[in-house]
Order: sequence, then C-alpha cells, then structure tokens
Amino acid sequence: MPSTNSPPGISLDALRSGDPQALAALFEAYADRIYRLALSLLHDPSAAEDIVQETFVSAITHLDRFEGRSSLGTWLYRVGYNASLDWLRRRKDEPLPPDEPGDESDAVPLPRSLVEWTLTPESRQAEGEMAAELDRAIGELSEGLRLVFLLRDVDELSTQETAEALGLTEGAVKVRLHRARLALREKLSDYFAERTPQEGEAA
Amino acid sequence: MNCQELIRYLSDYIDRSLSDELHAEAQQHLATCHNCHVVLDTTRQTIYLYRQSGRQAIPAEHRAELFARLQQSLAARKDSAS
Repeated sequence: MPSTNSPPGISLDALRSGDPQALAALFEAYADRIYRLALSLLHDPSAAEDIVQETFVSAITHLDRFEGRSSLGTWLYRVGYNASLDWLRRRKDEPLPPDEPGDESDAVPLPRSLVEWTLTPESRQAEGEMAAELDRAIGELSEGLRLVFLLRDVDELSTQETAEALGLTEGAVKVRLHRARLALREKLSDYFAERTPQEGEAA
Repeated sequence: MNCQELIRYLSDYIDRSLSDELHAEAQQHLATCHNCHVVLDTTRQTIYLYRQSGRQAIPAEHRAELFARLQQSLAARKDSAS
C-alpha cells in the first residue's frame, strides 16, 4: 500500500523557501486527492477547485504550524477537509454532514444479496453506464461513510491516516469502512448480478 | 466461525488485519460456505471497481490554470509579508 508519509522528493525546507519545483511536486501528488475529497462533500466541481487552491495556500503559508506528528499528506487532507466544512458553513442552504450514528458498535446488517457477479467483457464495454451506476451507489451513502471509503479504499490511506485526516478514532474509521463496503456491495449487486450469467443459464 | 461472525470480520479479513488464529478460522469457514464466499468475492470486486474508476481528477483543462493561480496567490502573500 502506498504511504503518504514521505511524499517523494518534497522537502519541507524547499517548500518553506518557496521552491517552485517543490510546490509543483506537492501539487502533483495531492491536488487531485484534495479535489476528490472536496467534491465528495460539496458536489460542486468549481467550488472543489477553489478548495484545492485554498488548501494549498493555507498549508504553505502555515507550514510552521505543521509539527510533523502526522505526514504532510495527511495534514493536507485535514486542511482540505476543514476548508470544505467551512465552505458548507458559509452556505447556509448546504447542511453540514450529520454525525454518523453508531460508531461505537460494530454491528452490521447481514448481507441480503447472495448472488455471484463477475465483470464480463460485455459489462466492461458499457463503461459509461457502469460509471453512472457506481456514482449512484456511492452517492446514496451518508457523507460519513462515503468519506471514509474514499480515503481508505480509493486513495489507499491507512486507517491511522484516515483517522487523522477526518478527526475520527481509528475504531470509527474501521466501523465506517466496513459499513460502507457492505452497503456499496449491496447497492451494486442487483446491477451486476443481472449482467452475470448464472449457473444453469446460457452464457 | 459462523456466517454472522464472518461478516463481522470481513473487512479485517480483506485488509489482512485479523490475528493468525481468526484469519485461519475465517478461511476455514469460507472454504465450506458458498454464500459467505460470494459476499467476500463481490465485496472485493466492489473495492476494486471504485479504486479503478473512482479516482476523479481535476479537469485537465483547469489544472494548469489552477496551479498558476496558486503560484500567484503565494507570490502575492510573500510580497505583502516582506
């Protein structure tokens, strides 16, 4: 699993002194990640770009506040997450994500769909349709579950990094990730099972 | 291990964060339980699908402009600070 601990070739001293190459390397490594995080919360591509800008400006100008307890990457996520929440607070019509209930319990509902599905060449051809289906399913998750899934399974942060970025306990990250995975699997099952030849059917 | 326990440990199993003992018990259950095997397999596919396609990026046509804006903004701050 790639770690965000030491972004390759980026030194804090170079960033502090305004080295353009260090800034470009940091932007290259994290801009898309912060964009995804912001987009997932704001649902507004242009606002998400503003958050990227705000995150990097804020991080670079406050590098002295970065204490190195977490990685620089995790810290950027945290700054981006807070900037996104601030944006939502400024827009009164956009409610803040509600607290996720039940982080302390690891109970999950038992799976409902038990049908096999595999990605056939045909389903790969329908990539546009599949992408829309994936978007729909993840869009139905609560924000609390969606963000954890995004950071852990899409961006491949560790449990600890995700907890630091979102201000959660590691236990809560694990519970939410588990719920998010099972919920997404359930939501996608009908779509993919329909497109998978089942035993006894002609392929 | 029964089905309910397997489902509870499923994410830890996928992430290989179970103790050796629990991992072995889970494997044993999965070897004989078709339903749980299906849930494991489709959950892995779910993660794989999002990892492949969920990495939305800044639109290419905005990327350079966004970086330029960032540089300008940082330069302006530096000027006003000095």
